[in-house]
Amino acid sequence: MKIQTNVGYLDNYKTYLQIEEAVHEFLKKKGYLKIDLPVLSPALIPESYLEIFETKFKYFDKKEKLYLTPSPELFLKRLLVAGIGNCYYLGKAFRNSEPNSTWHLAEFTMLEFYKVGVNYLELADEVLEMLQFIANRLNRPGMTISFDKWEKLSVAEAFNKYAAINEKELFNQKLFIKKAKNKEYKINGASYEDLFSQILAQEIEPRLGKNGYPTLLYDYPRELSSLAKLSKNRKVAERCEFYINGLEVGGFCTELNNYKEQEKRFIQESKKRKKNKLINHAIDKGFIEALKYGLLDCTGAGIGFDRLVMIFTNVDSIDKVKLINIL
Amino acid sequence: MRTNAGNLKKGDFVYYQGEVWQVQKADFYSPGKGSALMKAKIKNLLSGKNIEYAYKSNEQVDVLNVESIEMQYLYKDNENIYLMNERTYNQFTVPLSVVGEVANFLKEGTKLYVYLHNDKPLTIRPPMSVKLKVVEAEMAVKGDTVSGAKKPVVVETGVTVMVPLFVKVGETVIINPETGEYTGRE
Repeated sequence: MKIQTNVGYLDNYKTYLQIEEAVHEFLKKKGYLKIDLPVLSPALIPESYLEIFETKFKYFDKKEKLYLTPSPELFLKRLLVAGIGNCYYLGKAFRNSEPNSTWHLAEFTMLEFYKVGVNYLELADEVLEMLQFIANRLNRPGMTISFDKWEKLSVAEAFNKYAAINEKELFNQKLFIKKAKNKEYKINGASYEDLFSQILAQEIEPRLGKNGYPTLLYDYPRELSSLAKLSKNRKVAERCEFYINGLEVGGFCTELNNYKEQEKRFIQESKKRKKNKLINHAIDKGFIEALKYGLLDCTGAGIGFDRLVMIFTNVDSIDKVKLINIL
Repeated sequence: MRTNAGNLKKGDFVYYQGEVWQVQKADFYSPGKGSALMKAKIKNLLSGKNIEYAYKSNEQVDVLNVESIEMQYLYKDNENIYLMNERTYNQFTVPLSVVGEVANFLKEGTKLYVYLHNDKPLTIRPPMSVKLKVVEAEMAVKGDTVSGAKKPVVVETGVTVMVPLFVKVGETVIINPETGEYTGRE
């Protein structure tokens, strides 16, 4: 990797700052507390498909492993348990083993916020309001997208509409894998989650957020949500993602607050990490302890802040919104 | 040769649904759940058609072994460009639909590399730059000094390109044939 200086994109970076300012203002107005957080942690939440950065603290003979946080979730939820109320983090997050691309950098800026007492679809309304607030603040004529409403599409509707996979096939692993095979996807060694992601990326995502409004894709199969609460009938996870111009910009879910369920999912995810040969990091047991104490019903949202800026600056590559990139 | 889709890069030749395609763009994409993907834009080397395909990054892909040989561009007609291997004098053709816009910037004698698989030409590797003489240009309007202002001129291959206002007829300009952009003057 190299250090790349991008002074030519100064205008985009200035828009970046304006959007940042608008986000802080909006969230403050809505009663969220801004939280500054560490990016190094001795333990993490296990996530089966996400590789991390590992480093070491050293002092004479003392050595301790530390990890760069892939998300501020473990910290913010502790604070929620402690009763801090609605809160947010806008700062760095890190993901390893994913090469830099036009929409991803290993070190990126994440906006994550939590609201108490609402579910995922209720928070979606507030996210939309935030997008409107930013758009009004920037006052860019010629934006091809309007934030007046969501184009709402359940995952089942989307698979039916764009991939010709009906609800029964979507929620039945065997039928789904068979359907993928018929579509000539390679199914050897591929899990349900793998094929779900592949078909979503290939046949559905390119069509989302292209009708003049951002698309809200909601209600995922339960296999696809490690930290989301299941719906009352336990069929789907209360999770949604939103897309603009085919690009996934952010997502939110009603947070799982049953510690037993969470503990069970931690063990499953850790096993998958082992199987996927990912770094064997210490698991944040304090997180489970905190959940035992009691996390209020709440919804959390994560938005790729750099991608959000890409939308408002109308650029095709994530490195064009920053002045210095490591590429 | 088989490789993980995660290793695909621009310029690679792959088999997909029994045909030969060239990777135009390959972006790694991790949806957070399920294996990571390699979103590739690939171009069919028979029809010139572009499609996008999301490979699982650990999926095995057949990549073609190719050799690249320097050849001389001869001419084009409505369907193909014609090239000659200068060592053997063998002639080869590549369809215009595969070569694309780059063909507008090739003049007789231009040297370029051709990718061959089992002695059959697949496509060309466009030169980084081509030097072309300006044959038609309007004089710059006096007083028009906006920096970065451009005007259209016609170069010797008959195609129109945008160049800075100071370029005159008879001068040789340097063009990136893949984008058609002016990069300098001789």
